[in-house]
Amino acid sequence: MLPLTEDKAKVWLRRQGFPVPDGVVVVTPGAAAEAAARFGGSAVVKALVPTGRRGISGGVRVVNSPEAAAEAAHSLLGTDVQGHRVDEVYVETRVEIAAEYYLSINLESFPPRLLLSCHGGIDIEQTQATNPDAITVIDLDPTEGLNPWDAVSAWKSAGVNGEILPRLGAVTASLFTAFQTADALMLEINPLCVQTDGKLSLVGAMVGIDDDALGRQASWLADEAKPEWMFAGRNLNERERAVFAANQRYRGGMIRYSELDGDIGLIFNGGGAGLLQHDLILAMGGRPANHSDMNGINQDKIKALAHAVLDNPNIRGLLISANHLQMTRADRKVEPIMQVLAERGIDYAKFPVVIRMFGPREAEAREAAAMVPGVHYLPSGTPLEDACRLIVDLTRTGVTQ
Amino acid sequence: MSILLEKNTRVVVQGITGTQARVDTLVCRDYGTHIVAGVTPGRGGQDVEGIPVYDTVREAVEQHGAEASLVYVPALAAKDAVLEALVAGIHLIVAPAELVPLNDAAKVVDAVRKTDAVMVGFNTVGIITPGEARMGGMGGLDPDEIYAPGTVGICSRSGGMVAEVAWALKKGGLGVSTAVAMGGDAITGRRMVDYVRMFEDDPMTKAIALFGEPGTPNEREVAEHLRANGVKKPVVALIAGTFQENQPVGVSFGHAAAFIAGEGDGPTEKKKMLSQSGVRIAADLKDIPVQIKAALGRG
Repeated sequence: MLPLTEDKAKVWLRRQGFPVPDGVVVVTPGAAAEAAARFGGSAVVKALVPTGRRGISGGVRVVNSPEAAAEAAHSLLGTDVQGHRVDEVYVETRVEIAAEYYLSINLESFPPRLLLSCHGGIDIEQTQATNPDAITVIDLDPTEGLNPWDAVSAWKSAGVNGEILPRLGAVTASLFTAFQTADALMLEINPLCVQTDGKLSLVGAMVGIDDDALGRQASWLADEAKPEWMFAGRNLNERERAVFAANQRYRGGMIRYSELDGDIGLIFNGGGAGLLQHDLILAMGGRPANHSDMNGINQDKIKALAHAVLDNPNIRGLLISANHLQMTRADRKVEPIMQVLAERGIDYAKFPVVIRMFGPREAEAREAAAMVPGVHYLPSGTPLEDACRLIVDLTRTGVTQ
Repeated sequence: MSILLEKNTRVVVQGITGTQARVDTLVCRDYGTHIVAGVTPGRGGQDVEGIPVYDTVREAVEQHGAEASLVYVPALAAKDAVLEALVAGIHLIVAPAELVPLNDAAKVVDAVRKTDAVMVGFNTVGIITPGEARMGGMGGLDPDEIYAPGTVGICSRSGGMVAEVAWALKKGGLGVSTAVAMGGDAITGRRMVDYVRMFEDDPMTKAIALFGEPGTPNEREVAEHLRANGVKKPVVALIAGTFQENQPVGVSFGHAAAFIAGEGDGPTEKKKMLSQSGVRIAADLKDIPVQIKAALGRG
């Protein structure tokens, strides 16, 4: 999922006619002061990072003068909020608030769900754990959409009454339409405010877009794909970034690489087989240096993954393993990895390499592996468990033959 | 001796003129699948190795009585292709497409679940009834190496692991009634519990093997079903991904759906819930046939 920063989320909402407070992105305290002055001095200064819980982590400041806005921007810029470095702040006009609510739409399993609360500004995860009755959960129909009158009922069951109901119903129904059109997986409006003049304002806004749909979304939205944002609260290291970049650069397939602190390099193919083997290696006392998956047969991507795994200074052995490949050619998986191994000056007497790769063109894959001395290409039909056992033993003893 | 797919099932292949579709279609036909037609809009009147091609699924249904569809259509076109099959009256849809936007999957699955049709996928390697028929890449070029006919029903969230489970069963002296790769995404046409019910109702299936992963309510729903209705046939489950529980919340390592979003959908919790509902938890692949034979009194 690709989270949008608040400014992008609000541009997206504003374009579709939703009521969003005026705001501007700035990178200096001086510009923050100018923006606050334009808003009449009363403003909110927020760290512009793609994560929730900014308020709790001190990333949101309410100010009453341009000078205070500059001061707030100065104290936020360059700091770290929820694992993200603050390079920009968002200065927004302050809304006169009469009431605050919570709304989110989530698509993580079937069906999509609407979450409502008459308590605005809540931490949804914490509230779900401690006071679930404060949250109303409504199943949404992805084909029929959400009718405004059904949204009104939903808000009533969340404890909201009175003249605001038709406005809330209309905005909520439209938000689900916008959610589907933008291929969002998550949309949170928190707080959703009723102003003192009776109008609604979407004061807090977070949106997460489906990576798999970026190809059909407007380019300004697709351009927001930044590797750091793929992982909540964790910055990627250079090897993880290189794999992410290779995914974007080359077409076809998808490689994944997440670094860990062990010493056994893992090049897996097949998500389920990778999960199982990772568990087995740990149970056998081995310590994985990474987790990975190579989906597809794009040769450049597979090489990029092999480089990332081998660039990790901690690895002392390598397992290249897959479930039976069924229709996929084994040689198209093994050859690029062997090319990378061959061009690196590794002492294979001290660095064990185990391959378990069975399927179409296995004979050609074995020929490619034979070019690299010392590689253990396991006999066809060897159980997954045995491949894990061998790499754990070889890495532990440091004896490769 | 199967669910969903038999050697007489009349299959249409959507997108049959594509490269992968052509290869997989012929491999399926060689295995015994009764492929009656193909569909590629604009290519009506042509043929692929003797298989007639139509412009629409409706024509394939009218001309050949097609009842199942193998949908080889790219990710962004997959939603409409599946809906077309559904509206044409197809009751088994196998949809291998990967990286389908989740909002598309939600719409498709919503439509499928409002009918009696079964959709396998998205992100599936397919379904196989060993010795009879297969739809999709399941089994590769030499399915007999991996899949022996028999009485164990397999349902797996991972396509690759269906082959490994079947292989382990074969080495352990057991065979497969039908094996289903239900789809690796967060949202799939049918739930794991739906396949468990089908296997329970299938007279030729004597035991059920499941492969589960982190994320999604699938395994919990199986546990709830068995607790409510009792264990009718032995169920053995292998649940992978426990290591993820020590990683930061929300980090995905494998399939799109295989991330731990919160409490209750981690592998440890799943194993506990399944075990308490009478499911035998396998330690690894080799353990699956051992557990099944023990449960069937053949250990």
